[in-house]
Amino acid sequence: MSELLQVNGLSVRFSGLTALDDVTFTLEEGAVRAVIGPNGAGKSTLFNAISGYVTPTSGTVHLKGQELTKLTPHEIAEQGVRRTFQNGGLFPALTVLENVLTGLHAQIEGSFLDILLGRSKALKSEAENIHRARELLKLMSMDHMADTRAGDLSGGQQRIVEIVRTVASDPPVLLLDEPAVGLSPVARAQMMEIIHRLAGEKGVGILLIEHAVELVMAAADRILVMAAGARIAEGTPDEIREDRAVLEAYLGHS
Amino acid sequence: MLMQLTLGGFAQGAIYALIALSLTVVYRSTTVVNFGHGDFVMAGAFLSYVLVVLAGIAFLPAAVLAMIAMFVLGVFFSKGLIRPIRGGPHIGLALMCISAGYILRGIARMVWGREVLPMPPVFDIEPIFLGNLVVTGDAVFIIGTVFVLLVVFFGLLGLTDLGKMVQAVYQSPRGARLIGLNVERFNDFSWGVGAALGALGGILVAPISLLHPDLGASFLIKGFAAMTLGGFGSLGGAVLGGILLGLAEQYAGAYIDSALIEITAYVFIVLVLFIRPHGLFGRKAVVKV
Amino acid sequence: MSTTMPTSRQRSLRTWAFWAVPVLLLLTPLATNAYTQFIVNGMLISILVTLGFTLVIGNLGQLAFANTAFFGIGAYASAILSAKLGLPWIMTIPLAGALGALGGFLASSAALRGIRSYYLAIITLAFGELMRWAYLHTKPLTGGTDGLPLPRETMFGISLSDDTLKFYIFLAVTAVLVKATLNLLRSRFGRAVMAVRENEVATASLAIPTARVILTTFIWSGFLVGCAGALFARHVGHVFPESFGMLHLIASFAMVLVGGLGSVLGAVLGAVVLTALPEYLRAFPGMEELFFGLIVAAVLVAMPMGLASLLRRLSPIFVERYYREES
Repeated sequence: MSELLQVNGLSVRFSGLTALDDVTFTLEEGAVRAVIGPNGAGKSTLFNAISGYVTPTSGTVHLKGQELTKLTPHEIAEQGVRRTFQNGGLFPALTVLENVLTGLHAQIEGSFLDILLGRSKALKSEAENIHRARELLKLMSMDHMADTRAGDLSGGQQRIVEIVRTVASDPPVLLLDEPAVGLSPVARAQMMEIIHRLAGEKGVGILLIEHAVELVMAAADRILVMAAGARIAEGTPDEIREDRAVLEAYLGHS
Repeated sequence: MLMQLTLGGFAQGAIYALIALSLTVVYRSTTVVNFGHGDFVMAGAFLSYVLVVLAGIAFLPAAVLAMIAMFVLGVFFSKGLIRPIRGGPHIGLALMCISAGYILRGIARMVWGREVLPMPPVFDIEPIFLGNLVVTGDAVFIIGTVFVLLVVFFGLLGLTDLGKMVQAVYQSPRGARLIGLNVERFNDFSWGVGAALGALGGILVAPISLLHPDLGASFLIKGFAAMTLGGFGSLGGAVLGGILLGLAEQYAGAYIDSALIEITAYVFIVLVLFIRPHGLFGRKAVVKV
Repeated sequence: MSTTMPTSRQRSLRTWAFWAVPVLLLLTPLATNAYTQFIVNGMLISILVTLGFTLVIGNLGQLAFANTAFFGIGAYASAILSAKLGLPWIMTIPLAGALGALGGFLASSAALRGIRSYYLAIITLAFGELMRWAYLHTKPLTGGTDGLPLPRETMFGISLSDDTLKFYIFLAVTAVLVKATLNLLRSRFGRAVMAVRENEVATASLAIPTARVILTTFIWSGFLVGCAGALFARHVGHVFPESFGMLHLIASFAMVLVGGLGSVLGAVLGAVVLTALPEYLRAFPGMEELFFGLIVAAVLVAMPMGLASLLRRLSPIFVERYYREES
């Protein structure tokens, strides 16, 4: 398996406070790596630093050997590292189809002038991408909802549409920020299947923040455990289950 | 010359301070910026005109009556027009305030037409001469009134629970509600206070300027400039910003070009927001991702 | 609430309707008198002004009040270029648009520096008043309080003071610009604009350059309104600073809101409905302000989505979509 994402010595400090402390790991093609840890462990800061929303104080992030560290969020997304948001990042006033199409923004061709003048180049690419978006929705059995306002969907449907939108452009790396939070058991199982399919069939490297332990244990190949901004353990789910440092971080010193 | 300008600047600045303060009172407790506030100021001036000139009431009781009337108007505005759209976007609230201002302006113009009205001088006392400095009764009256009012205002905030309530509502309306504060009524009250204080600004300028229905627009901008300069949302900053703006206008007008008096406020707004958005005294806002 | 989408037959019907409206309008001069023609011309200008405004405050969701400033810049640019440089008026339209776009660029540079929400409202309001001050204090160029008359001019041998000729020119300019704006909105660009309004942080995560989207929206808005300014200069024949004050601002607000915030259809409806009425109110001092103030307040409380939402309820033909499947 080839390496996709390399995170090297990544640290983030906010005015003296260390939110992320020298974190290093790699993510391979088709791998699912979970990041777990108590609140305030720096999981979200890790995501924000990788996706460009927070500037790292030191350390680097590379995608297939290309440095991403100095890029802005939209540039990082264009390079192929895409993410979802813990609180849901859908655009409620847009329809499901329109939401998915925003995920294909960079794939749709045609300059501003082409669009303005309604040139066939822009229209053709727009039509092709609409077709693609509809196909993706069909894969998730969401095609009948294409023209529903995203804000009118159920919580589980919103999560799924957000993932469809995020993977529409076929990014090699996907960061999922608590994709199962607030989902029913049925929706959770569906989410698990989606994650497996993305990694197994499409070879997407997935980094996953999740609190639902059974989901993490079942979905992840490897688990990164964080506490107070630093990595305290790493290993397969079975190794992590046995790890003393992890128990201490979660249960406190006993 | 410098002393004379400084006195004039203080008198003018006291009024700006009052307007900025009244805007800030509403903003801090309701997070709404009253884009129609200039017309509330204008309405205060007109009400005092009506009471003094048409109803023949003495200036001081007329001023108090006008403020009470504006307080009531502020409360009704909050109850009737702001509450129904509170949950909505900022744009709606801003537009509601603007439209309220226009309604006031429309009424003023319907009654007065396109005339410009002079108010009879109120403090027709002989100016005092201190060397070259001419101290007029109006200047003394304006500065004195605003000073007393500020002492009372900040005294009430500092010495009673009112200050804590304002702070609580500003930082977390939900928290304030949890500890038993009636946030809706508090908001109505703040709108009333804001309208009354703004009206006082209009009442104070009425005797020294010509009255017309459009006089509010420039006061709105001056109030914003003072707020921006002092740090948006800071009560003390609003006062200091107002005084500084009054002084800057006078100096710029005298030493550079008199046409600059009108645009000092605009220039302040643009410069401050581009260079130091949190104002001279405000703390830098932290933006959350 | 589930929205019904138009069928393909309804869609082609809508395409026909879009072009049928201006074609039918071509016949209006046959059926109207000079006064009505003047008002209809004013409507065409208002459509562009409202459209430019609704793009920024409705679609992009930014509290920017510089619209009146763009309008004034366009009108003065057109008047100065024709009166002082002797340019044919028709050529001043794109130039006025370009200067309006420059104004849009300035306003967006404030938004991009993190000056948002109320700060943006205040700085753009100050920008508008600063422009008015500039018109008053650059007398050699703008005529100050006396304003600036446009020179007499003929096109195709017809005087440009002729309202019928103006009507055809205005109609062409407005139809083309409305169509171009629809093209923009029903594309990845239009979706990105609304994505920024809904959730700017998430928008950037989709490889959408949010800063460029904001910049471009303001520039296009400024362009539309700048062009409208040039039309206005010819419409009234003489530009005065008072035309670009607060009354114009509240009137634009009312048009945006009555039609429906962030809707092209709404911009057209609001402009058409609210251009005619004030003409009859003008004779009574204060009525215009009172009228617009009451209308905006009433719409905000009772019908926040405007007239366009009523039409949408009548027929799915009026549902606005932000993609375009036919190529």
